Amino acid sequence: MDILSNLLMGFQVALTPYNLMVAAAGVVLGVLVGVLPGLGGANGCAILIPVTFVMPPTAAVILLSCLYWGALYGGAITSILFNIPGEPWAVAVTFDGYPMAKKGLAGKALSASFMAHFVGAVFGTIMLTFFAPILAAFALRFGPPEVFSVMILTFSAFVGLAGKSPVKTLIATFLGFILAAVGIDIVSGQLRLTYGTVPLMGGFNFIVAVIGLFGLGEIFLTVEEGLKMEGVAARLRWSDVKDVLRAMRTYWRTLLMGSMVGVWMGFKPGGATPASFMAYGFAKAASREKEEFGKGHIAGILAPEAAAHAAGTSAMIPMISLGIPGSPTAAVILGGLMIWGLTPGPMLFKEKPDFVWGLIASTWIGNLFGVIVVLACAPLFARILRAPFSILMPIIIFACAIGAYAVNNRMMDIYYMLVFGIIGYVFKKLDYQMAPMLLALVLGDMAESAMRQSLIMSQGSPWIFFQPPIALPINAVALVIFFWPIISAVRERRKRGRGGPLQPEPGPPAVLPPPVTPAPTSVSGNGDEASVGARTPGDTRRA
Amino acid sequence: MRMADIITAMVLAAVGVLVLADAIRLGFGWTPDGPQAGFFPFLLGLGVVVGCAIVVVQAVQRKGVAKSEKPFIPPKALTPVILVVAPAALMVILTEFIGLYLAAALYLGTYMRLVGHYRWRLVLSLSILVPITTYLVFDKIFLIPMPTGMYGRLLPF
Repeated sequence: MDILSNLLMGFQVALTPYNLMVAAAGVVLGVLVGVLPGLGGANGCAILIPVTFVMPPTAAVILLSCLYWGALYGGAITSILFNIPGEPWAVAVTFDGYPMAKKGLAGKALSASFMAHFVGAVFGTIMLTFFAPILAAFALRFGPPEVFSVMILTFSAFVGLAGKSPVKTLIATFLGFILAAVGIDIVSGQLRLTYGTVPLMGGFNFIVAVIGLFGLGEIFLTVEEGLKMEGVAARLRWSDVKDVLRAMRTYWRTLLMGSMVGVWMGFKPGGATPASFMAYGFAKAASREKEEFGKGHIAGILAPEAAAHAAGTSAMIPMISLGIPGSPTAAVILGGLMIWGLTPGPMLFKEKPDFVWGLIASTWIGNLFGVIVVLACAPLFARILRAPFSILMPIIIFACAIGAYAVNNRMMDIYYMLVFGIIGYVFKKLDYQMAPMLLALVLGDMAESAMRQSLIMSQGSPWIFFQPPIALPINAVALVIFFWPIISAVRERRKRGRGGPLQPEPGPPAVLPPPVTPAPTSVSGNGDEASVGARTPGDTRRA
Repeated sequence: MRMADIITAMVLAAVGVLVLADAIRLGFGWTPDGPQAGFFPFLLGLGVVVGCAIVVVQAVQRKGVAKSEKPFIPPKALTPVILVVAPAALMVILTEFIGLYLAAALYLGTYMRLVGHYRWRLVLSLSILVPITTYLVFDKIFLIPMPTGMYGRLLPF
């Protein structure tokens, strides 16, 4: 089969000693980054991007993606032992992981989490291996209108499905696009939004934004909440692993469900964090031992962890095949791609097969390596957390400054980083979502040129975005998702209206109410999904 | 919290207006060779302004509904947050003059001593070792020079 021979070629790339070494370094660094609160996958990757300049692109992407896998594994350690999520996607595991650890079963909780992660990773990677090439082949038929439609779908998903306040998500998205537009216009060569100042002419670099928004912002929040590291001691024994293997056979359905939710949530942009909450909610709803959840039920660890990792890996599917990342970390890796001189999109599979398949093969290797590393060294990584925060924190900020400067060797970028840090802090507190903002900043130029090219093709008519066969269904779905908060609010009202016994069943609403009202009602609407999506990295910690 | 919400939305709306102004300067209309340079920013600026207006209206309507609003920053947390933001900002400004490594050494040392209250031995060894390690990694191994500042060139790093 074509895919298998390609995969074999990928393994030949990924298994060279240099790439293996890079993968190992990535995984270990990733676990470290995942363990430390305030340093996540996205800004871990961002800080490392300057380092990748000296590497060939394949090794570079292996380093960053393996860092991502490591961070996915590592986040759970902090959650389970300290009840503080090391990563936003590890919040859901605190619900049952920490109680279990307190009962003295820390080893079992950790191994359950790691192995669930591995199962999720296998699912996500299978999808990445077999589905991404098909999607890329399909996407080869995309022209500018289709590309722009896919982007609309992406951002609609953020607005409609994942946010407490859809309006604020929309504002954040637009702000991201605005930041991307600052500087020289690629089409006309004019200076835009620089207001005659020199520093703005260079534009904003997304890496600096990531480090500020996701790094410094998170640190400020952590400080505000007064982190106290009071952890549970952990030891991982072989018998724990065997216990968990037995439990996994009992709860295979939970694992499967978690992985499926994860694959879907990662593929449609949303990322690992909402996926883990959704899977936890589903597992609890489906379980016969509901009251055991929250007290240290093993299924409450298996479901969210499998979902988080499956989402993380499958976020790479649209990233590599369409050039549209499914999670903030994937967005940073995509930005890296552009910096290394590659053009993201479906042509990558044709033009750089060694790069694409090297990445896919390294995903298999990195995840396998990751599970071994965390199973073997979890207590070691946990020990780092016993170092006081007032020692770790300034060192993390120093690392952030290095990363921000090294992208372009511009002093200005360190100032920007600081400003973005404060913006990130304020935005998180006020529920402005940062993931779509970051995505917009990364995709800005691409989105704008796709839109302008489409409009040139159609001579100014916006109907080109609704032309069959591809753009029309994509945009139709996008519209439904975008107005989902309103649609679900209407359905909710109908359900409540049905209290009267003889009320006639009303047809589908022909007219949508004006989009001014959604925010307060949207949470109650599609139950789990809306409220779950609302937990963006910032407010997660409070859970 | 509500006040902060309104102020933030106002500031963002002001950014939107700035964007609109520049988009109008560039022209947001249609020319024979496609949309003008200001077309996309114009839509974005408009979106931000309208969105912020909605946020402000919603926040104003919330008045009285939720009396027991949390303050934007809990009073107890204000000092630690400032204690993190201010030294970091100082380090960045110092970098202009004496370079990142020296500034970082000063920053690490000051913060660990004044906020963390650690023993001098630990403080000094960490604040000297960390910058030196990063210097070796970035400037020597990966050949990425860090800012040396105005007076930094007197030193080897």
